[in-house]
Amino acid sequence: MSELLIKNAVVCDPINNVNCEKMDISVKDGKIVESVSSGAKVIDAGGKLTMAGGVDGHTHCAGKINVGRFMSPHDMRMTNVPGLSGKEAPTATTRAQVGYNTPNAFAIGYRYAKMGYTTIGEAAIPIIGARHTHEEFEAIPILDKFGLTLFGSNWQVMEYIRDDEPEKLAAYVAWGLKASRGYGIKIVNPGGGEAWGWGKNVSGLDDPVPNFDVTPAQIIMGLAEANEKLNLPHSIHLHCNNLGKPGNYETTIASMKLLENLKSNRDRQVLHVTHVQFNAYGGTSWRDFESAAPQVSDYINSTDHMTFDLGQAIFGPAMTMTADGPVEYANSRMLNAKWSNMDVELEDASGVVPITYSPKNFVNAVQWAIGLELALLVDDPWKVMFTTDSPNGGSFVNYPEAYTYLMSAKRRAEIIETLPEMALGRMNIPGIDRELDLYELAIMTRAMQSKMYCMDTKGHLGVGADADIAIYDIKPDSVDTTVEYVAVKKAFSGAAYTIKSGEVVVKDGEIAMTPEGRTYWVNAKMPQATVDAMQVDVAKKFKKYYTVSQANYMVEDAYLPHPVEITTEAL
Amino acid sequence: MAVITDAICSLCGSLCDDITVTVEDNVITDVERACILGRNKFVGMFLHDRIESPMIRKNGELVDVSYEEAIDEAAKILVNSKRTLSYGWCSTSCEAISKAIQLAEETGSLIDSTANVCHGPSALAVQEKGGPSATLGAVKNRADVVIFWGCNPAHAHPRHMSRYSSFSKGFFTQKGRKDRKMIVIDVRKTDTAKLADTYVEIDQGSDYLLVTALRSAINGHEDVIPDTVAGVSKEDVLELANVLKEAKYTCVFYGMGVTQSRSKYKNGDGVSSLISDINQHSKAVMIGMRGHYNVTGFGQVATWETGFPMAIDFTRGAPYYNPGETGANDVLTRGDVDAAIISAADPGAHFPQDSLKYLAKIPVIQIDPYANPTTELSDVVFPAAVVGVEAEGTAYRMDGISLRMKKLIDTKFKTDEEIAVDLINKVRELKGGA
Amino acid sequence: MQTVTLSLKEKNAIPIEADTINPDNFASKSKDEIGAILVWYGNAQVTIGEVFDVAVDGSDSTENTKIVINGDVSRVKRIGQEMSAGEIEINSNVDMHCGSNMTGGKITINGDADSWVGCEMKGGEIVVNGNGSYYVGGGYRGEACGMKGGKITVTGNVRDYLGEHMCGGEIVVKGDAGLLPGISNNGGSIIIEGSTTMPASEMKAGTIIIKGEAAELMPSFAEDGTEDVDGVTYRKFAGDVNANGKGVLLVK
Ligand SMILES: [Zn+2]
Repeated sequence: MSELLIKNAVVCDPINNVNCEKMDISVKDGKIVESVSSGAKVIDAGGKLTMAGGVDGHTHCAGKINVGRFMSPHDMRMTNVPGLSGKEAPTATTRAQVGYNTPNAFAIGYRYAKMGYTTIGEAAIPIIGARHTHEEFEAIPILDKFGLTLFGSNWQVMEYIRDDEPEKLAAYVAWGLKASRGYGIKIVNPGGGEAWGWGKNVSGLDDPVPNFDVTPAQIIMGLAEANEKLNLPHSIHLHCNNLGKPGNYETTIASMKLLENLKSNRDRQVLHVTHVQFNAYGGTSWRDFESAAPQVSDYINSTDHMTFDLGQAIFGPAMTMTADGPVEYANSRMLNAKWSNMDVELEDASGVVPITYSPKNFVNAVQWAIGLELALLVDDPWKVMFTTDSPNGGSFVNYPEAYTYLMSAKRRAEIIETLPEMALGRMNIPGIDRELDLYELAIMTRAMQSKMYCMDTKGHLGVGADADIAIYDIKPDSVDTTVEYVAVKKAFSGAAYTIKSGEVVVKDGEIAMTPEGRTYWVNAKMPQATVDAMQVDVAKKFKKYYTVSQANYMVEDAYLPHPVEITTEAL
Repeated sequence: MAVITDAICSLCGSLCDDITVTVEDNVITDVERACILGRNKFVGMFLHDRIESPMIRKNGELVDVSYEEAIDEAAKILVNSKRTLSYGWCSTSCEAISKAIQLAEETGSLIDSTANVCHGPSALAVQEKGGPSATLGAVKNRADVVIFWGCNPAHAHPRHMSRYSSFSKGFFTQKGRKDRKMIVIDVRKTDTAKLADTYVEIDQGSDYLLVTALRSAINGHEDVIPDTVAGVSKEDVLELANVLKEAKYTCVFYGMGVTQSRSKYKNGDGVSSLISDINQHSKAVMIGMRGHYNVTGFGQVATWETGFPMAIDFTRGAPYYNPGETGANDVLTRGDVDAAIISAADPGAHFPQDSLKYLAKIPVIQIDPYANPTTELSDVVFPAAVVGVEAEGTAYRMDGISLRMKKLIDTKFKTDEEIAVDLINKVRELKGGA
Repeated sequence: MQTVTLSLKEKNAIPIEADTINPDNFASKSKDEIGAILVWYGNAQVTIGEVFDVAVDGSDSTENTKIVINGDVSRVKRIGQEMSAGEIEINSNVDMHCGSNMTGGKITINGDADSWVGCEMKGGEIVVNGNGSYYVGGGYRGEACGMKGGKITVTGNVRDYLGEHMCGGEIVVKGDAGLLPGISNNGGSIIIEGSTTMPASEMKAGTIIIKGEAAELMPSFAEDGTEDVDGVTYRKFAGDVNANGKGVLLVK
């Protein structure tokens, strides 16, 4: 039995209302406990900032990212963020590392851990490709993982919604989560993936999906109701229609409003809208393009049924990857960039295209501002998950840099000064003086995730929580985060300690050991009769349309060597 | 007697997963639904002589030794090498590939797959322009135009056309072949071409010119196309371009006729651009016809573990990638390595003479179920289980879908994965002791 | 003026990777200091002194440092990589990546240069008094730009993909070039005095002049009259139309 006592930690733990107070933390067998024996190993935190391990609830870390790697060998030598990018030879404790936007699996684990993160969520798993996702999960060291399963252009889903079969729909979703060992429902450009099967797209919530006679709005509602029927730990996770288009904020707000009256039996939102930066665009074309963050934020401030994440843009090279197939093709033509695509039989589509966000480009400058505006104009930090939608808005290794934008108006002003005059008139960030404190940062980077994913043992340091702990080399008592942003960035770039399940995995910014992480998945139970009826329909799909047999479709136990099965009962 | 259903055929990149296998007394006695090639793999393995024992070459002869002695000898070769080539790893599981990569990393070696002599240029093409692709089921359910370019599935992928492409029936293609236009582009009239609605015969090595002319036509620049391109009349080029523009869904399946002919990866690069251009008018995708059943898996595993799909050089610690410099034949023809470890591949039968001459000069470690021409060049030989028959594990279909291969019968032989792990451990022991 | 003479002691088979051999690293260093600089030999590092006889004459800044390399360095890669000034003279065939990423100074190769000579170079000059190979002035795999500036002159022939993805600078080949020279040219200038095949494909910008025979012109260029250069009249082509290119291809 291993025991650990962390003394003199200044703890920011919003779930437990601990606002950067000095205290000790006791750890036993990988969990936070009330107290430990005198024989416990002691770490003296010396007044340093201490938080629960970070949770990145929306990142592209396994599966599609491999397409991004495959097409960009030059990314492997990029060193844009020293210490957290580029090539590193193997050491006695670490495997070889490469890359920046699309690092190899080992580097993903090491670099998140260095930043004090201990849990990450892959944002998009195609069911038929789920085995691959889990193979990559297994290769990512240290971190706990979970993934969201794509349902938004799935034939069976659309047919059940069209045919008004909500029970079978819920049973199918439960089965799909089991087949893919997924944690929740992801919806990407609902219906758009199917339209892309013919090189087309859907234009908004009420534009019917070709050949399926359902609308994106119906898909969203149907899946949200199934989500609540199944009592899933997460809400639906929505990538709205019309992503990346000027004027799309209206679709975004309309999508949010759809779910206003849906009730959940769990203590969480009924809707998470992802990477809203890409969906808060005003104007009618790229010429009159402007931030619509104020409109979107106003709406979010007026309601309590939803959470969202930023998809903050980071200046420099990035790699877009999404199940939104038509958007990626359009990107590649507009940017004259490489284009990878994958039409996934009966289920979805996807694409991968590199991009560079330049501070000299007025559109990119406004994109940069929109993410920050959303974070700062939405009053309640519990509604806001910090992300760059890595690597869509930029690689996750830029998180420490991005924190400084949120915490320091002075730092923001330095960047704003470099932006084109034309961009300044299209954004609101120069007039915003809000600066997040460490407590609010802790909410956006770990605490709100605990609630929004109903992960009771993650994102906080209360008794019973997993002993996933980050100790950063700044002292909340003395640091002024609004001006000392260099020190803030440095501290978050290489934790003094990262502790995962009670073990010190990072010390002084370097990897100390590399245990294997766990994989969370949800087994949602439905009445057997409904499951059987659903199975009859699914069996037909395999017989006639899939190119793999049903027996070879389900992800086998062998691919989850350290599973955590979350069971729910349908209402 | 055991009957195993939904078994996966580990022969070619089609990775058919609907095979029924009958096993009696640990021998496969019947195979249903497999093609002749697959059947030969399942049943034929009992007809061929296996390598029965680990062997080491002593005084010019391969002699039987204990497994431990062979591991010891092989590890010594690896530890004493300035730069080893690890090659093959495409007719084995992803789990074995992962360990092979770790072995290469720990020994400062260079590791490459059989893509070096088949679809390696396809990867380079993706790195130029991306890979606009689809799963095979998307083609089955949607494609009304199927093009086979420089490939001959009638021989190399016998069930491809019935399961996934020309003849398959799907949701939007209920009539199968009748709903579909089949086009073959090749330098000679293959058996696949004989089944096509349209056969376009092109001059050897001129694929890139035809791709470019098609692009010009689709992009509205007919005027720049000469009367004949690649041996094809302008009229035929324009007609083909028109078919692509008018199609609902086109898939271009391309083979080694594209990747290994003159202009190599620029052909695939051009096809990728062509696909992008067609999508301005309709919908199109491309899929490479991969040969070895898990050559796609090597590319996938290597990419998530090292950042690169093939030709990965750990000589300086961190991985470096540069086909043309770090490919298996690049280093063999130049004599840039001083040892080799070869698994589940037969360079003895497939490499150019220069490479083989050099392989004969350096210590070679072979891991394989069967003796083949490479055995003649080898100094340490490990017999291995037949993955996909005697050992389970993951493989990737040509479209990037991964499947779990079953273990169908028991074996006394170690798996490639176990041998790689034993080598890693022995190398660590030798290095630690040094 | 500082002159450093490196003479290879014994020809190697496994390549040596000598990206540390450049004037920037040698300037104002003594014989012992230079001899102690590391290079890679297979999967281990050795000192320059172990593989070369080192002679040093004088001590000076990078601009005023000249490195003379003797002996058969046809298996020594990356000489002159990232050099910013000074001079290197190689009296032998040289292995891959010579002068890659250089930003200034001059490299003279009195022999053949293997592939990727002047890869991604940004400034300075390389003269190959012999043949080049593949990817002269090209770029790293996946990268959008090869050579961006400077000049490469090859007195002999080169093989395929000359100046692939070039974004600037100038290449002159006195002999023949292999397949697809100037492919994806995005602003560089290439002169091929001999013959070549399928030039200028996907060119977006820049100029390519072919004085010998240009076989198999790409079906993606529009003929656009003639143009005189140094008193010679060339057929002028504009393209690549599929890249919406504004490049100029001049052939006889
Ligand atoms: Zn995302």
